[in-house]
Amino acid sequence: MITRRSVLALLGPVVAIALLLAVPAAAGDFEQRAEKFIVSLAQQAIDSLAKPGVQRGERIKRFRVMFNDHFAVHAIGRFVLGRHWQQATDKEQAEYLVLFEDLMVVSYVDRFQKYAGENLRVVKSRIEGDSTATVFTEIVRPDAGPAVQVIWRIGAKGDMLKILDVLVEGTSLSQTLRADFGSIIRQREGKVAALIHELRLKTAELKLPDKN
Amino acid sequence: MTASVRRILPFRAIVFVAALLILTGGCAIAPNPADREAVAEFAALNDPAEPTNRTVFAINRGIDAVILKPVATFYRDYIPKFFQDRVNDVLDNLRSPVIFVNDLLQGEIDRAIATLARFVVNSTWGLAGLNDIATAIGMEGHDEDFGQTLAVWGVPEGPYVMLPLFGPSNPRDTVGLVVDFLVDPFNVWAGNTNRDYAILSRTGARGVDQRAVHMEALDDIERTSLDYYASIRSLYRQRRAEEIRNGKPSATMPAPGLSQAPADGPAAASDQAARTQ
Repeated sequence: MITRRSVLALLGPVVAIALLLAVPAAAGDFEQRAEKFIVSLAQQAIDSLAKPGVQRGERIKRFRVMFNDHFAVHAIGRFVLGRHWQQATDKEQAEYLVLFEDLMVVSYVDRFQKYAGENLRVVKSRIEGDSTATVFTEIVRPDAGPAVQVIWRIGAKGDMLKILDVLVEGTSLSQTLRADFGSIIRQREGKVAALIHELRLKTAELKLPDKN
Repeated sequence: MTASVRRILPFRAIVFVAALLILTGGCAIAPNPADREAVAEFAALNDPAEPTNRTVFAINRGIDAVILKPVATFYRDYIPKFFQDRVNDVLDNLRSPVIFVNDLLQGEIDRAIATLARFVVNSTWGLAGLNDIATAIGMEGHDEDFGQTLAVWGVPEGPYVMLPLFGPSNPRDTVGLVVDFLVDPFNVWAGNTNRDYAILSRTGARGVDQRAVHMEALDDIERTSLDYYASIRSLYRQRRAEEIRNGKPSATMPAPGLSQAPADGPAAASDQAARTQ
């Protein structure tokens, strides 16, 4: 029987040669940078969000900075809007991006530490192309349930790294948002303005202190 | 066995309700055929009975709000964790035979052996499944079902369907649900010995247990999504795809890229922050 291991053993040298030819010398470096980037994000979440006694308004402010520093907000926002991005006016695009960032911040300020905090452990990472890396992490649950698999897709542009997508147990943040927003636009005859209206209502609701 | 199934699943009532929903809910309105992108989007959504499905979803949410969620909340908050873990372990162990059969049907011999070994260890040393000793000694479990087996065999999923009580599904997973129910040795035993209450208790316990486990995640999605139905539909499909692949890497999906938005630089980020202040 050909076991998976023996196939790997056979393919190993081939893959190694292919990697040597295809990937620039700095690849290992990129993987390490991506892993460090995620670990430092988790550390920041612990340092700035986990402190007790910080007002929610202040935590939102801190998380907004963290979110913009680490996430490709524009790229994700554009992707989520999909084909409707082109149909939106410049003013709508700008307004949408502000509200999109706002929605992400108020949605995740209270639960971000569940995905990146003290329980995060990097499992492995992989280079996907010259400018994208995937970091596989595990979130160990304190109540001893099975660990949650969280995958981070990271894009690089020069020295800058930004998160492009987060996948929790195989479900992608950007795909789910795209389905969510797309459904709203479809129900309102393809109008981006209607989505903007809904986003405004939702973010206002999520900002209320008792809705936390 | 069939007689017991008929008693437990009131088929006529279900058919009646389904017919009523289809008549009242109707089908989704197809987009203008001239709009190619909209047509492609409609096909990709694969939810031709969306209005009906939304009605069923609303009814399910109502039932959940009145019964399942309060019971699950009470269970989660007031029943000792130790007891919850034992319930979870017993229910997991009871599922093992079905998982084993599906491992085999998918040709996953290694996983079938792992499932069998877990079942033996937990049913004996684990005191009839009360303690998941197998996981404690490093024999991690996994789940399988006949819906996934059909997918591995290449059966297409069919359109999205919101089942009453059981929630998001499709014809493939619905068939899977019924087949898993019929081949489950526990159900066969209970059916043959007129212990319908055993099947109902187990199903009820599983429902409460799973509802409690997913409480936080579902609350978050409900709170932060604009269209809860559409979000659940997307999440269900992504989750099933992941389960069918057994967590192996997927084919590349369209995803955001940095080149798409030249604005995503450190400067742009602080601009953005400044604008929202």
